[in-house]
Amino acid sequence: MLVYTARRLAVAIPVLLAASVLVFLMVDLSGDPLADMRLAQPPPSEEAIAAAEARYYLDRSTPERYWLWMTGIGGNGDIGLLQGEFGPSVRGGAFDIGEQLASGISVTLRLVSAALVFALGLAVISGVVSAMRQYSKLDYTLTFIGFLALAMPTFWLGALIREGGLVFNQSTGTSFFFTIGANSARVGNMTNWEYFLDSAGHLVLPTITLMLTSYAAWSRYQRTSMLEVLNSDYVRLARSKGVRNSVVVRRHALRTALIPLVTVATIGFVGIIEGVVITETIFQWRGLGYFFIEAVRAQDAFALMSWLMLSGTLVVVANLIADILYGVLDPRIRYE
Amino acid sequence: MTTTEHMSDGPVPTAGHDVVLDVRDLSVTFSSEDGPLDAVRGVTYQVRRGEALGIVGESGSGKSVTSMAIMGLLPRTARVTGSARVLDQEVIGLGDAAISRIRGEKIAMIFQDPLTSLNPVYTIGYQIAEAVLTHRDVTKKQARERAVELLDKVGIPNPERRVDQYPHELSGGMRQRVVIAIAMANDPDVIIADEPTTALDVTVQAQVLEALEAARRETGAALVLITHDLGVVAGHVDRVAVMYAGRLVETGTVEDVFYRPRMPYALGLLGSVPRLDGGRHERLTPILGTPPSLLNLPRGCAFAPRCPMAQDICQEEVPELAEPADIGAPGAGEEDDPLRRHRSACHFSEQLAGVRPEDLFRPTSVDAEAPAEVLAAELGGTRPAGGAAGEAPEAEPGTGAGTPGGGSEVLLTATDLVKNFPIRSKGILRRKVGEVQAVSGISLELREHETLALVGESGCGKSTTARLLLQLIRRTSGDVRYMGRPLHDLSDAQMRPLRRDLQLVFQDPFASLDPRMTVSDTVAEPLQIHGRAKGARTRVKELLELVGLNPEHGSRYPHEFSGGQRQRIGIARALALNPKVLILDEPVSALDVSIQAGVINLLEDLQDELGLSYLFVSHDLSVVRHIADRVAVMYLGKIVETGTTDQLFSAPAHPYTQALISAIPLPDPVKERTRERIVVTGDVPSPADPPSGCRFRTRCPKFAGELSEAERVRCVEEPPDLLDRGTGHRDACHYSQVVELI
Repeated sequence: MLVYTARRLAVAIPVLLAASVLVFLMVDLSGDPLADMRLAQPPPSEEAIAAAEARYYLDRSTPERYWLWMTGIGGNGDIGLLQGEFGPSVRGGAFDIGEQLASGISVTLRLVSAALVFALGLAVISGVVSAMRQYSKLDYTLTFIGFLALAMPTFWLGALIREGGLVFNQSTGTSFFFTIGANSARVGNMTNWEYFLDSAGHLVLPTITLMLTSYAAWSRYQRTSMLEVLNSDYVRLARSKGVRNSVVVRRHALRTALIPLVTVATIGFVGIIEGVVITETIFQWRGLGYFFIEAVRAQDAFALMSWLMLSGTLVVVANLIADILYGVLDPRIRYE
Repeated sequence: MTTTEHMSDGPVPTAGHDVVLDVRDLSVTFSSEDGPLDAVRGVTYQVRRGEALGIVGESGSGKSVTSMAIMGLLPRTARVTGSARVLDQEVIGLGDAAISRIRGEKIAMIFQDPLTSLNPVYTIGYQIAEAVLTHRDVTKKQARERAVELLDKVGIPNPERRVDQYPHELSGGMRQRVVIAIAMANDPDVIIADEPTTALDVTVQAQVLEALEAARRETGAALVLITHDLGVVAGHVDRVAVMYAGRLVETGTVEDVFYRPRMPYALGLLGSVPRLDGGRHERLTPILGTPPSLLNLPRGCAFAPRCPMAQDICQEEVPELAEPADIGAPGAGEEDDPLRRHRSACHFSEQLAGVRPEDLFRPTSVDAEAPAEVLAAELGGTRPAGGAAGEAPEAEPGTGAGTPGGGSEVLLTATDLVKNFPIRSKGILRRKVGEVQAVSGISLELREHETLALVGESGCGKSTTARLLLQLIRRTSGDVRYMGRPLHDLSDAQMRPLRRDLQLVFQDPFASLDPRMTVSDTVAEPLQIHGRAKGARTRVKELLELVGLNPEHGSRYPHEFSGGQRQRIGIARALALNPKVLILDEPVSALDVSIQAGVINLLEDLQDELGLSYLFVSHDLSVVRHIADRVAVMYLGKIVETGTTDQLFSAPAHPYTQALISAIPLPDPVKERTRERIVVTGDVPSPADPPSGCRFRTRCPKFAGELSEAERVRCVEEPPDLLDRGTGHRDACHYSQVVELI
């Protein structure tokens, strides 16, 4: 198991390296970050343009810039991913990409993990229940909900849920649902407990928005894989041994039925990262989604690349966790 | 199915005190979209302690569903009525908690497919211990000790080490032993074994049946052995029940049912099995038609549409399972045991006294829905008429041109053919880390109008050889020639015109036909590919007729046909281009025996009519004995023995051939119980790392039992050559010695 994990880790490094090349090339090819400056009226001086080019390392060749971006060797000390520097932002020296990313990620991870936990948990529960009561009213209801959620795009669903929250608040005259931001404005003078409750409250609607599509897809997968396992020979054998049905379902069916879900959920994790951009915009969170949109607007190349690398790393880590989970769930994987 | 009057099994025998499983009037109905499906209809049987009952039937006869109903393992949608009592306790209709106390404790079950029966994510020790812990108040340590003990009892070597292994680390035969160990864990009173050896190779089957016998001895349990294999039943049970379309149609002692069958279906089954102890080219007698759909069962006897004896009453009235009137009460001195009485469900069972299968069924090769009605009239007399229209069953097909070595032209040769498949490492580099030696230096010749059989167990390389001959995969070394012309260097385009002469018939009739193409299109496709589209329509009709199908059915799709019919379509497709050679890769192994016989007859007729040569790849020695002129036996990529069919079966010289032949169960209770056995142990070694010297030595009974240390050295060091012993009969054994086994 240790060897297996180590091998998985070793594979992750070249993947990240390849991702960095792709990220760099795509952003590099997407246009001149100083285009606005060059076209400004009145035209800025040659020196000003040259200074800007030097500041953003645009006077170097592409391979040189990639080298700089990765290592920072030969730069001005504000660049080099391996040294923890993300590069200069076009939005001025006050905008520190690293700091902004860090604050964004703390907010976004809260949302992503909540959505992931609830989507997975509910998907497993409803998938198992659906499979055990195949073709019952409950199964049909869950199937209907699943397909409904799958059919609704996140941006529309999100707006609808937010609107629903607002209408509820208005009609009851309360502020039961939080619809704006990750926390209330008066965070400063809260006890830890109050802060936790406040954060949790703000999480409710965005989490529902973000998880619904994934939940719907995953619960369908879980139902199918559970049905397959419930009809398998080894579940039949376990029952023929005299093991009680509830124990068979837990011990023999669920564990093997979870294996395909790990694959699906890992692929689906990318979808959640995509969804987080939309969800954060709708609920006006200042997380990674917001960071991304602002970076695009400002044509902030280094900010954009940093964001892309961070998402890439998250996906690689998710895959790593999935690989380890496989090894835990399925002994056949451990022996390669 | 609560109305049981019309399907009661007649007077219910009074069961003795020792009855451990008492099934009465058991019926199972599944609801389907097309209406209720009566899978089991009023089955009644009893089994005594220590006794073995065989339930025989073809797929869909309800034999498995019956046992699943007794075990309470059927899905919710199944409606089960009637009664099943285990040690006097009713089990039908029990809740999960109550039935769980009986399952595994009083009645245990063994399933067909050992590869899927065990949970892949738990060790086998855990899975055996689970059975113990469920019913016994013991510690985990004690349960584990019991697991080791059980593994030892079912003949698994190194049980201490094996107990912590996962199922994927064990071979199929080993896994089935684990399942048997689980079944015997709590010394049950009844063990139901549902096709326990069907998925296994014959030599492994023999070992697993031995383990099953050990389990019976150990636990004293009654055994209900469900199988389609009449040979397995003949050797291992005291009484037999034959099932057809959800009903028991004949019951009695094995001797009564095998030697004196009184139900046309039982008779037909016995007549359609190719026998290892039968003569070559003895015509088989298939049962025409296909088993009825359980959705719309005929009103009378379910077998009537296929029965050559059927009369009006058979269409109207379901015959009861009863003793034929002419058998009468047991004579003086004979023990009267109600359970052992011979019963049959046929209106005319009295007329079947002394009737042999060939008296009743025609040795035909056509596929028809029902036998001609004339036949029923014919049976009124004592001797039936011989051949059906256009056929002469007495004729000995295969004599003359078919006899080997008669100077006929050699069509296909392979010389020192080798195929190694690389084993690559996982990961990006995919380095070559080893080789699977699938075929290791095979030479063979296929002559004109001859059937050469290539036999061996799974993984011996026989299918790979077939594909190499057709250039469907490329050889590693050696050469393949067709009429003297080397094929191995031809490009695909150069090979194409030759493919007209060399055609292939596949094993699986369900997977080898495109479900979206009509039968006509399927059969016409080769004609189109080879630019013979003109006149294809007429040709297709000819072909369908040739393979015994109704030419009017050409516009239908494959799913409208039964397995046997589909295999005929596959054969018609292969024949479309007038080939000279057919390579048949297990062509009948997916078919039920009653259907299989018709396809075998068809292949024989086609060979006579069209002068075809067959390379017949098969694991089934009984079929091979029946159809082949010459046989080559393969083991781990090498031919170990080759000769004419008669030479090979009457005087096998290689220990592996001897073991294979002696492992095939004969559908004859007396012969099966008294014949000499040569048993091999263990499993086939991995072809990635075959043993040095003689590849068979690791399992060879001669090596293990007869040879001295000094003699063994030669087996270990020197790979034996395939040597001619003077008569064209060749074997690859340093110490070969002819043994008579049948």
